[in-house]
Amino acid sequence: MDSTYFQYLDYAVYGTAVLVMLIGLYAALVKKSLLKIVIGLSIVDSGLNLLIVTLGYIKGGTAPIFSPGYNGTQAMVDPIPQALVLTAIVIGFGVTAVALSLVIRLWRHHHTLYIDEIKNLKW
Amino acid sequence: MVGTPVLFIAIPLLAAFLIPLTGMVWKESVRIIPGLILAYLLVLAINLLSYVTVNGPIVEVIAGWAPPIGINLVFNAFSGFLVTIMVFMGLLVWLYSYRFKSNVEYEAARKYFLLLMMLVTGSVGIVLTGDIFNMFVFIEITGISGYALTAFYTGRDSAEASFKYLIMGSIASVFLLLAIMIIYSQLGTLNMADVASKMHLMDPKYKAVSFILFVIALGIEAEVFPLNGWAPDAYAEAPGPVGAAFSGIVVKAAVYALIRYTYTIFDLSGAFDLLIIVGLMTLVIAEVAAIRQEKLKRMLAYSSIGQMGLVFVSFGIGTKEGVFAALFIMLNHAIIKPLLFFSGSYLVYHSKKKTISDVDGMGKLAPFTSLLFALGAFSIVGLPPFAGFWSKLSFLMAAADSNMLLIIGLILTVSVVELVYYMRVVNRIFFFKRASHLLARRPTFNAYIVMSVLAVLILVIGFYPDSVSTYLHNAANSLFDKSQYIHSVLTATIQ
Amino acid sequence: MITLILLLFLGGAIVTWLGGKLSPIVGDMLFLVTIIVPAGMFFTGVTVGEVTHIHALGLTLTWGLSPLSYLFSMIVVGLGILLAIYAVPFMKGKQKTGAFYFNFTLSVMAMLGILVSKDWVSFFIFWEIMTWSSYLMVILNGKDVQRVGIKYFIFSAIGAYAMLMAMVVMNSQLGSFLMADTFNNFQHLTVGNQILIPILLLTAFGVKSAMMPLHVWAPDAYSNAPMAYTGLFSGALSKMGIYGMVLVMVTMINQLPEGTLIRDIIAWIGGFTAAAATLWAITQDDGKKLLAWSSVGQMGYIIVGVAIGTPLAMLAALFLVVVHAMFKGSLFMVVGAIEKQTGTTDFREINGLIRKMPWTFISALISVIALAGIPPLAGFVSKWMLYEALIQNNNYILVILLFFASTAGFLYCYKFLHGYFLGQEEPEWAHVKEAPVTMVVPMLLLAIGTFVLGTFPQLLFKPIDSALQYVGYDATGGHLWGQSILFSEWGDVVTLQPILYAVLAVFVFFALFLWFKGTKGTRYVSTKDISSSGELPKEWENLTFKVNFMQPFERVIEPFLKRQIDKYYTAFGNGLEALFEFTRRIYTGNGQTYAIYAILFLALLLLFRVNLFG
Repeated sequence: MDSTYFQYLDYAVYGTAVLVMLIGLYAALVKKSLLKIVIGLSIVDSGLNLLIVTLGYIKGGTAPIFSPGYNGTQAMVDPIPQALVLTAIVIGFGVTAVALSLVIRLWRHHHTLYIDEIKNLKW
Repeated sequence: MVGTPVLFIAIPLLAAFLIPLTGMVWKESVRIIPGLILAYLLVLAINLLSYVTVNGPIVEVIAGWAPPIGINLVFNAFSGFLVTIMVFMGLLVWLYSYRFKSNVEYEAARKYFLLLMMLVTGSVGIVLTGDIFNMFVFIEITGISGYALTAFYTGRDSAEASFKYLIMGSIASVFLLLAIMIIYSQLGTLNMADVASKMHLMDPKYKAVSFILFVIALGIEAEVFPLNGWAPDAYAEAPGPVGAAFSGIVVKAAVYALIRYTYTIFDLSGAFDLLIIVGLMTLVIAEVAAIRQEKLKRMLAYSSIGQMGLVFVSFGIGTKEGVFAALFIMLNHAIIKPLLFFSGSYLVYHSKKKTISDVDGMGKLAPFTSLLFALGAFSIVGLPPFAGFWSKLSFLMAAADSNMLLIIGLILTVSVVELVYYMRVVNRIFFFKRASHLLARRPTFNAYIVMSVLAVLILVIGFYPDSVSTYLHNAANSLFDKSQYIHSVLTATIQ
Repeated sequence: MITLILLLFLGGAIVTWLGGKLSPIVGDMLFLVTIIVPAGMFFTGVTVGEVTHIHALGLTLTWGLSPLSYLFSMIVVGLGILLAIYAVPFMKGKQKTGAFYFNFTLSVMAMLGILVSKDWVSFFIFWEIMTWSSYLMVILNGKDVQRVGIKYFIFSAIGAYAMLMAMVVMNSQLGSFLMADTFNNFQHLTVGNQILIPILLLTAFGVKSAMMPLHVWAPDAYSNAPMAYTGLFSGALSKMGIYGMVLVMVTMINQLPEGTLIRDIIAWIGGFTAAAATLWAITQDDGKKLLAWSSVGQMGYIIVGVAIGTPLAMLAALFLVVVHAMFKGSLFMVVGAIEKQTGTTDFREINGLIRKMPWTFISALISVIALAGIPPLAGFVSKWMLYEALIQNNNYILVILLFFASTAGFLYCYKFLHGYFLGQEEPEWAHVKEAPVTMVVPMLLLAIGTFVLGTFPQLLFKPIDSALQYVGYDATGGHLWGQSILFSEWGDVVTLQPILYAVLAVFVFFALFLWFKGTKGTRYVSTKDISSSGELPKEWENLTFKVNFMQPFERVIEPFLKRQIDKYYTAFGNGLEALFEFTRRIYTGNGQTYAIYAILFLALLLLFRVNLFG
C-alpha cells in the first residue's frame, strides 16, 4: 500500500486535535448554558491533551518502558508529553469538578443556568 | 544554611493534607498549624535570603535528576525576595483570618486553612520552580484553591465570581499548556535555564507565538487589561483576607512568572514594548473604572489592578532602575493593599451591600480602623512621607532616565484620578455624617496586630526607605544576570 | 539642628494628637509647646548657611537655610506662633481639635521643610505633606467636603505632579536633584526641556499661589478651613508658591531667550488675577469669602511683582509677601473671633459689633487700612514700590489695571469693616462679648506689625535685600530700595514718619470728635426698618440694608462675573466622569465576554506579532 496517504493521516491527527479544541472553544464561548460551557472547557482540555500526545509520538515507536522484551534498537515515543498529559488530565478533572460544584451553587442561588442572567457583579 | 527551598513547597502541601487529620484529634489544630508553618517558612525565607545575598543563588535538584532533565528549584535574590514577601503576607493573612467571620466554626476553618495552605504552596512554587511544566502545575494548584476560596462564602454572589475566575483560569491553562508544548516541541526541554540558553535556536515565528500565549495565560492571573474581568468580582466577593491574599500573593507569583519569561527565558526585543503597552492599558482602564465604583472592595480591586499595570510599565522600561522600581511598587502594594482590604472589610463589616457610602462617618465609630485605612490610602496614592511615595519616585526616575516623558505624563494624570477616588472614601469616613444605623464592628485582636504591623511597615519604609532598598537592588541585579541564572542551574549537582 | 526642629514638630504633632485624647487641656498645652519650642529653636539656633545631609534610597537630601528662605521662614514661624496661641481658644469646645492641632503642626513643619530644602526631592516631600495637611484642614468642618476638598486636592495634585515630572526630568538630564545644580546647569538642557520645565514648575507654584486659571480652589478652600488655620493658609502656605516662583523666575526664566515673554505673560495673569479677584471679593456677603477672594487678589499683586522681576518689583513683591501675611493673618483672626462670638460670618446678619468687640475692631481697622494700601501702613509701601517698578518697566497698562484693582479694593475693605462693626447694634447681638485675650492679642500684634513696618520699612528691607542678593540681584549701586523715589528722596532711615504723624493726628482728631460729638443725640432704630413702598415684605426676607450692599456696582460688573472658569472646570469634570462611566462598561459582568476578550486579545497580538517582535 502507498504510504503517502498515511502521511496525510499524520496531519489528520493534528487536525483532529485542533478541531476538537475549536469545538470546545466554540461551546465555551458561545453556548449560554453553564453546563455547556463547562463541557466546552473540558473538550478544549481533551483536544489539547490529544495534541500534546501527538506531538510526542514517533512513528513506529514503542512504549517508553525498558521491559524485558525490549531489544534496544527500536525507537521509543517521547515519554515526557505523555507524563505531562497525565498531569494535565488530573488537573482538568479537578477543575471540572470545581466547576460543576460551582454550577450547582449557581443554580441554587439564581435558579437558572443561563449565563447572561448571572450578572449580579458587573462594571 | 538552615533549610532548603523545597521546604517551601513540601511543608505547606503536607500541612494541607494533614490538617483534616489532625483536626479529628484536636480541632483547634487546623487553625494553629498553618500559622506555625508560615512562621517557620518566614524565618526560613529570611535566612535563605541573607544566605543568598552572600553566597549566590541556591539551586535545589529534586528527585535525583540533575538539570536539565530533572525538576529544580531556584532560590536567588529575586525569587527569594518574592517568596519572602509572599510567605510574610501568608502569615499576616493567616493571623487576620484566625477567627474571621465564619472561620470561627470548625468545618469552615478546616476548609479555609486547607485552601490557604494550597494557595501559598502554589504561589511559592510558581516563584521557586525552575521548570516550565512544573510552573504550570503550580499555577493550576493556585488557581483551583483560588476558585474555591473565592466561592468560600455561600449566600453572596461569590459562586458567580468564582465561576468567572474559573472560565478565565481554564482558558489560561489551555494557553499555557499550548505555549509550553510549542517550546518543548521546538527545543526538547522544559528546564527554564536550558530553554533560555537554547532560545536563540528557536524559530522566531514559534518564539513569538509561544511568548504571546504565555503573556495571555499569565496575564489572566496577573490581571492584565483585557483579561482581568474576573479580578474585581473575585476580590469583591472573596472573604476580605482572601482578597488581600490575591493581591499580596497570587498576583505577585503571576507577575513573577511573566517577568521571568520576558527577562530570562525569551530574548524578544519587542517584549518590553508589549509590557509597557499592556501595562498602560491596564492602568488607565482600571483607574478609570475604579473611580466610578459603588462598592468599596471593587474599588480596591480595580486599584489593585491599576497598580499591577504600573508594575508592568515599570518592568517594561527594561532597565535595572525600572526593575528596582517595579519590585518596590510590588513590595509596597503587597503591604498597602492588604492593609486597605483588611481595614476596609471591617469598615463595611455589617453592611449588606458593602457600598462606599456605608463607610460614612466611620471615623467616629471605628477610629483606629479608619485611621489605618486612611494611612493606606495616603500611602498607595504616593503621598510622602509614606511608603508609596518612594516607589512612585523611583518609578518616575527610571522612566525619566529612559526618556519616557509622555508615559510619565500619562501616569501622573492617571494618578490624579487615583487620588480622587481614594480621597473621596477618606472624606466619607472622617467628614461625613453617619447615615446608616449599622454599628462598627470591632476588629479582633489579631486583626489589630496585623493591621498595626502593616501600618508600621508603611511608616518604616516611608521614613527610612533604605531599609528595603538593598534587597530590592539585589533582586533587580539578580534578574538581570541571566547568564548567572543559566549557569548556576545547569551546573547544579545533586546534593 | 534643622533635622531636630523638624523632628520635634513631627513628634510633637503625634504627641499632641495622642495627648488630646487624654484631656483637652493636655492637648492644648502640648500643642503650644510643640509649636513654640521648635519655633523658638528656629529663631535662636538656625543660622543661614547651615547644611544637613540625609541619605535615602541612594539620594542625598540636603537641608539648609538661605537668606531667601530665611525671610519666608520668619513669616511661617511668626505667623505659626501667633496663630497657635490664637487657635487654642478658637478651637475650645469644637470637635476634631486633635486633628486640627495635628495638621496645624504638620503644616508648619512642612512649610519650614520646604524652605530649608536644597534639593527637589525633599522640597517635593514637604510640599506634599503641606498639601495633604492643609487639605485635611480644608475639610475639617465636614462642610462641602467632596466638592471643595476634592477640588483643592485635584488642583494641588496637578501642581505637585507637574513639579514631580519637572524634577525627574531635570534629574535624568542633569544627574542631580540639587536645586543649585539644576539652576546652574539649566543651560545644558535641551531647548524643549528648557521651556517645559519652567512651565511645569510655574504650574505647580501657580496652583499654590492661586494664579488665575488655577485659582478656583482658593476661595472655597480658604473660607472652608477653620479661621485659625486660614490665616496660616493664606498668609504663609500660599506664599510657598511665591517662594518657588521667585526661584524659578530668577534662576531659570532669566536664562531663557524667551524669558521676557514668559515674564510678561505671568505678569498679565497676575494683574488679571488681582483685578478679577477684587471684583469677586466685592460681591461677597460673607466675610470669609470676601477675605478669601481678597487673598487671591493680593497674590495677584505679588505675582506681578515677581514676574516683572526688576529689583524694585521684587522688593515690592517680597515686601507685600510679608505684609500680606501679617494683615491677612490678622483679618482672618478677626473673622474667626467674630465667628466664635456670634456664630456667623455673614454681613447681612451681624451689625454694630464695634462696641461689643472694640479690640477686634481696632485690629480689623488697622489691617484693613494696610490691605487697602493707605499711607501710614505697610501696604502702601509695597504697592507704591510695585507701581513704581511697573512704570519704570514701561508696563503702563498693567499699572492702570492694578490701580483699578487697588481702588476697587477700597470697596470691599469698606464693606468688611462696615459689615461687621459699623451700623447699629441689634438686640440679637446684645449678648456678644469681646473675644478672649489670647485671641485678641495675636491679631493686635499683627496689626501693629503692619503699622511698624509701614513706618520703618527698612526693618524689612534689610532681610529682603540680602535675600535678593542671594538669588543674584546686584546691589553694587547701594541698597536695592534706593531705586524708589519714596526712599531715596527721604533717605532710608527716617522714611515715612512725617506722613504717619500727620495721619495719626487726623485720626486722633476724628476719634476725639466722634467721642465728644458723635455719640450724643444718636437715635436707635431697627436696621430692618426700611420703607418697602407698599410692598409687604415676606417674613423670610432679610431686610437689612446690607443686602445688596453694592448693588449699583454689582450691576455694572455683573457681565464680567458671569464668565466663571469654575463652571468650565465642573463641566469638564462631569464630562470626564461620564466618559469613565462609559469606559467601565467594558466589564460587562458576563464571564463569557471576558473569555472572548482573551481570545480577541490573542488574535490581536498574533496579528501584530510581526510589528511587535519583528
